[in-house]
Amino acid sequence: MTLFELVLRSMRKNIKHYYLYFFVFIFCTSLYFVFVTLQHDVSLPDRMDGGSVFSQAFLAAGFLLLLIVSVFTIYANRLFFNRRSREIGLYQLIGLTKRGVVQLLLLENTLLGIGALVAGIVCGALVYRIFLVLISSLLGFDGVVTVHFSLSAMYQTAAVFAVLIVLTSIQMVRMTYRTTLIDLFQAENRHEHPSTPANGPAAVFGLLGIVLILYGYWQSGRISQNTLFIGSLAILGSIIAGTYLLFRVTIGWLFGRIRRAANGHLGLRRALSLAPLMHRMRGQANSLTVITVLSAMTLTMVAAAYSFYYSAGKDTRNALPYDFAIENGESNAAKHFGEELDAKGIRYDHRKVDAIRLTGKICAVPSLSACEETTLLVLPAEQLRQTGADIPVPEPWNAAMYDGNAKLDRLTQDPNADLPKTIEMDLLKSESGNKLQLTDVVNRFAMNYNVYGDQLVVSETTFRALKAGMTALPQYEQEQMKERPDYAAVAFDTFQVPDKPQRKTASEAYAAFVPEGSHPFDYEREYRDKLQSFGLFIFITGFLGLVFLISTGSMLYFKQMTEAEQEKRSFITLRQLGFEKKDILKGIMRKQLFVFTIPLAIGIAHAAFAVKTVSVLVPSSIVVPSATAMGGYVLIYFIFVLLTMGYYKKIVKAAI
Amino acid sequence: MNTNVSQKTMLQAQSIRKSYGKKGSAQQVLKGIDLHVAEGEFVGIMGPSGSGKTTLLNVLATIDRPTEGKVLIEDADVSDMKDAELSAFRRKKLGFVFQDYNLLDTLTVKENILLPVSLGRRNRSGAELAYQAIAQSLGIEGLADKYPHELSGGQKQRTSAGRALIHRPALVFADEPTGALDSKSASNLLDTISKLNLERRGTIVMVSHDPVASSYCSRVIFLKDGRIYSEVYRGDKSRQAFFKDIMDVQAVLGGEAVDVV
Repeated sequence: MTLFELVLRSMRKNIKHYYLYFFVFIFCTSLYFVFVTLQHDVSLPDRMDGGSVFSQAFLAAGFLLLLIVSVFTIYANRLFFNRRSREIGLYQLIGLTKRGVVQLLLLENTLLGIGALVAGIVCGALVYRIFLVLISSLLGFDGVVTVHFSLSAMYQTAAVFAVLIVLTSIQMVRMTYRTTLIDLFQAENRHEHPSTPANGPAAVFGLLGIVLILYGYWQSGRISQNTLFIGSLAILGSIIAGTYLLFRVTIGWLFGRIRRAANGHLGLRRALSLAPLMHRMRGQANSLTVITVLSAMTLTMVAAAYSFYYSAGKDTRNALPYDFAIENGESNAAKHFGEELDAKGIRYDHRKVDAIRLTGKICAVPSLSACEETTLLVLPAEQLRQTGADIPVPEPWNAAMYDGNAKLDRLTQDPNADLPKTIEMDLLKSESGNKLQLTDVVNRFAMNYNVYGDQLVVSETTFRALKAGMTALPQYEQEQMKERPDYAAVAFDTFQVPDKPQRKTASEAYAAFVPEGSHPFDYEREYRDKLQSFGLFIFITGFLGLVFLISTGSMLYFKQMTEAEQEKRSFITLRQLGFEKKDILKGIMRKQLFVFTIPLAIGIAHAAFAVKTVSVLVPSSIVVPSATAMGGYVLIYFIFVLLTMGYYKKIVKAAI
Repeated sequence: MNTNVSQKTMLQAQSIRKSYGKKGSAQQVLKGIDLHVAEGEFVGIMGPSGSGKTTLLNVLATIDRPTEGKVLIEDADVSDMKDAELSAFRRKKLGFVFQDYNLLDTLTVKENILLPVSLGRRNRSGAELAYQAIAQSLGIEGLADKYPHELSGGQKQRTSAGRALIHRPALVFADEPTGALDSKSASNLLDTISKLNLERRGTIVMVSHDPVASSYCSRVIFLKDGRIYSEVYRGDKSRQAFFKDIMDVQAVLGGEAVDVV
């Protein structure tokens, strides 16, 4: 038999064995190809405002993808090498030199790698159109998409994955030269010898693991803007260290306690789940920590992306309650805009809202030292209500602040914590004995957020009193002659367009009525921009998440496959002792649930806290979209549990 | 000497045939074997490599099914039992000792020994008593919390014997139990097992190629080419005399006799 024939033979065997590995490899290659093609695609970014953002996003995504693929292939490669160690040892025993073995492995790895690479690029090119349609609909583009096959993308994909193949080849060569014949023959039996950890240190480190994680969770709830960087590093470090200790010590220690309580009367199910888990987890602490942290990262990413996408409409409404708001009718912009809408046959609701703008101080009640000087925009609640806004009327001389960034500005403390505060207006102090009080902070805007000033809503009577006080000032008229008066009565023309397609036409027309050089702030435009950037975000995180998920799932699956081979002997023994297949499988099922559920559950817990921290960026609720994203993740994850169970079933069935 | 042997039949094999491979090109390993083992007997099966010893043991022990013929254990026909029935039967009535111990390496000595009684819904204190008794008679009380990799070969085989005997099986099958042991550990183990056998009125069927191990038996059956070639009874003879008898038959049989001395 020539070397080549030998290679072909073992390749055929390997494909059957490691189909999942090839599937993942091909999937990643395809996805990378798609990302690179999108990065270079000239037709898409043109339709977006920030074309460079688009290609930057895909560049970053491609990089992350490569990172996970490298971790995955190197992990899998090592695992497979150990599994085949007996075969490799046998070749050497019958006289093949190490050089010969290396040649054989390299030839095999190269052929398989190139095969997977070609398959990946072909698949990528075939499914590219689907991706294009998907991203277009996510980003709200309409019209037909045109597909170009990008040669440069193909070259880039081929080059990058060729490097990966070279890396794994180097790894194989090193492993072959570093292992002795005896290592090769013992590799299969050389899993860590079980031992009972010393109780005292185990308890200390076991509890330390839990404490570190809880500390991280607790800190994540009180992170503030000035400690953002150091704080999040500390949290990350504490949680990762805690997770490692959890796998390395805590779980083994807890299982050990259950086991000691059983005093030898373990029973079949616990003998098949508790005992092997207790010993194997320690040795796998590294990979389990990586898997858990990756899962947590993926979940956070996907949940956050979906939350942003999901609440884009609501968040935009919080920032821009009116489709269009034009300040002061003097330039007649509002009038002309109304005429324009009439001319286009667009139905709209036009209301005027009065307001006053002036400087003031917001002071905490106990000490007058903590005052915040700011420009205030005072709006009457009754007029806002007439436009259809859901704004309660405050008591006389009470004011509610409407600020869509309230959660973000005061990262840690509850915005309503130290209310009421007093509002001091130096101008109007002498005129009225009444003092305005800030009694409420609402996490949205009452007037479109681009208008100048902190928005305070008061009742109409209070508003009138304040306005009268201001206009009665002797220097008022003079002040109004300035280009930017320090205090003024202003008015807003608000427009609501209920019909969606008409709103879009109106949005296009609106740009002409904005002063030259300034950005048109209107609901429709803002919403579309948000949808586009979050659509891009969710597209990328969605597919990256899928790659992460498949990679971590496969890592666990390969590990379980190896364990199943090692435990084969035990299953035969158990069958001889008179245990039924179904009892043995029940025990194994329990073990699988632990193996897969523990990293998943910890990952979800980590992600839940991370998402909660990120949620300050999303004014609206994150519970529904996060839960949906996590649910989807769990569902796909459990496919791997089924695959593993299937593999075990085959092995137990073959036992006797 | 063997006052322990009663007239009650424990195991009965009726014209057992076993062939492997497809029809047409099938290879017959057992070519019609009839065997009768009475309660309390310690039966050895010997024979050259390829004579079918292990196949016969597997068929008798319900691990493998005969192609033709019947196996009766305590008058129950095990050759056509369903898998669930067979599993329950093995768990209640049979015990196994193997050459390579087959201990579960993630379980301690005590957990390994208690494994067979774990499904039997036996109460815990009863199981604990049974464990204490068997561990004491095998001299492994001090090893309860040790893992298999911390034990010597002899200790592992004692653990394995403990697991085979804890539920007081009616019939114990042993496949080369001393194959991996040095001669001192081997005779220690065999002493203990045959003593326990006397105490508990159990029946043992053991495959071995070692005439010393077989000399602990009350009867030795010799296989050749899938058939019973001859049988020798120990009767009232000393173990040394019985060993000589076994050696004589082996000399005639050929095969492994040479590499024994």
